[in-house]
Amino acid sequence: MTIYKKPLPPVNEDTAPYWEYCRKHELRMQRCKECEKIRFPVSIVCPGCHSMESEWTRLSGKGNIFSFIVFRMAYHSAYKDDIPYAVAIVQLEEGPRMESNIIGCDVEDIRVGMPVEVVFDDVTKQVALPKFKPIQ
Amino acid sequence: MESMKDKAAIVGVGYTPQGKVPGRSSLSFHVEAARNAIKDAGLRPGDVDGLLIQPTMGDMSVTAVLVAQHLGIRARFLASQDSFGASAACQAQHAVWAVAHGYADYVVCSYGENARSGISKYGTALNGGSEYGMFGAASLYALAARRGMHEFGTGPETWSEIAVAQRRWANLNPAAAMYEKPMTFDDYYNSGFVIEPFRLMDICLISDGGRAFIVTTAERARDCKKMPVYIMGMGQDHPADNAPQAGYLTGPTWAKRSGEAAFKMAGIAKDDPDAVEMYDCFTYTVELELIDYGFFKKGEGKDFLKADRMSPGGDFPINTSGGLLSEAYQQGFTPLTEAVLQLRGECGDRQLGPATNTKRPEIILVSNNGGVLQTHSTLILGR
Repeated sequence: MTIYKKPLPPVNEDTAPYWEYCRKHELRMQRCKECEKIRFPVSIVCPGCHSMESEWTRLSGKGNIFSFIVFRMAYHSAYKDDIPYAVAIVQLEEGPRMESNIIGCDVEDIRVGMPVEVVFDDVTKQVALPKFKPIQ
Repeated sequence: MESMKDKAAIVGVGYTPQGKVPGRSSLSFHVEAARNAIKDAGLRPGDVDGLLIQPTMGDMSVTAVLVAQHLGIRARFLASQDSFGASAACQAQHAVWAVAHGYADYVVCSYGENARSGISKYGTALNGGSEYGMFGAASLYALAARRGMHEFGTGPETWSEIAVAQRRWANLNPAAAMYEKPMTFDDYYNSGFVIEPFRLMDICLISDGGRAFIVTTAERARDCKKMPVYIMGMGQDHPADNAPQAGYLTGPTWAKRSGEAAFKMAGIAKDDPDAVEMYDCFTYTVELELIDYGFFKKGEGKDFLKADRMSPGGDFPINTSGGLLSEAYQQGFTPLTEAVLQLRGECGDRQLGPATNTKRPEIILVSNNGGVLQTHSTLILGR
């Protein structure tokens, strides 16, 4: 197996559950038990109502591209062979937006508003990254 | 609340060698800039009893205590002020409160970083995202800019005008990294995409160097060596949202509220300032924040922001040092200290006034923003 040289997500005590669900190919975020708002990024407290009670709710993994950029230059040596690659803000159906990669299509074909769905990329045995591909 | 209008003034600014200056620590830039600001004001080291610093991103060992130690400052007011690119104008405001209420007589505000030659954090991940190949502040601002293209039709037609105009100012500023490097519109388009939709020329410089300024009461300012530059108005606003969730990537950003507070305090209208010195990390930032200050509406940038209007001799001078895009990246200190020099009339070939066939400035709007539009601060400076 080749060694994965790209940066891995910064997993800490708070974000570990999120990444553990990703490892199981489930996109889950915290839903506040008080005000029912789904929040992202991961936090111990709801920024709206300050409740500390939440549950990890499973998301559909569907959304659309809110915005995207195309890296034409490698900022990190491990990304050299990936140029050009696309990073997007994905608007998820359930409300939150998240950063991720758009894969499975030519970067020239990416548009704002394009419908996408999550696909998990098992980059190591411990880490799967939620990425997004266009819905055909 | 008691108005702080004209209660305090900036009485000294300090520069250091900047651009590519290898072999120097970040601490050394803080210390030299502060030392030069103290000298500029005609003060002795023992006069200074307040120190605020902007933390150095690449070396967190540079603390306010350490800078004070090297400068021999025994402070009654000492802090590190962390609001990224908005820090300079925030420091100025905190210094105003301190001197106006007697918690310090003279406050030095400083920044320094070997961001270009040292072990820097510039250009690496901000707000995470490096697992997706996102690096540097440019990536998140480019995401904001792309959304702006989608929502109100902005793009390189507008951004090129900003980049070219600021380069013309830099070509009149011997301290600017781009002093000897003119730029045409073709150069802009040919500079190529780095993080599309941003071309290289949409993105600010990364510079070694430091910058500092000194705030004191209006009363003490009159006895300092240089002409006082009064703080007529000030405001700040920090939404702090996680960038992808933020509702303001295409405006209105909270520069709107920061600006409204500053103009209200100064008691002037948006067209009263003679120039704008604005934090220009990226060309799109300039366009977006000028909308928030009320100069034009979304989608009107391509008509309003013509290079000739913003260039030397134009009727809307902006970032007259060349700014972060073409002078040097000294955080929010780049626009702030340039405003001071312009009001004092010390800008040589780029001086607003007869040298550039314009009016000698009396009031200048200074705007800072930091993070990914997460922090904002505004000053209105006058002489």
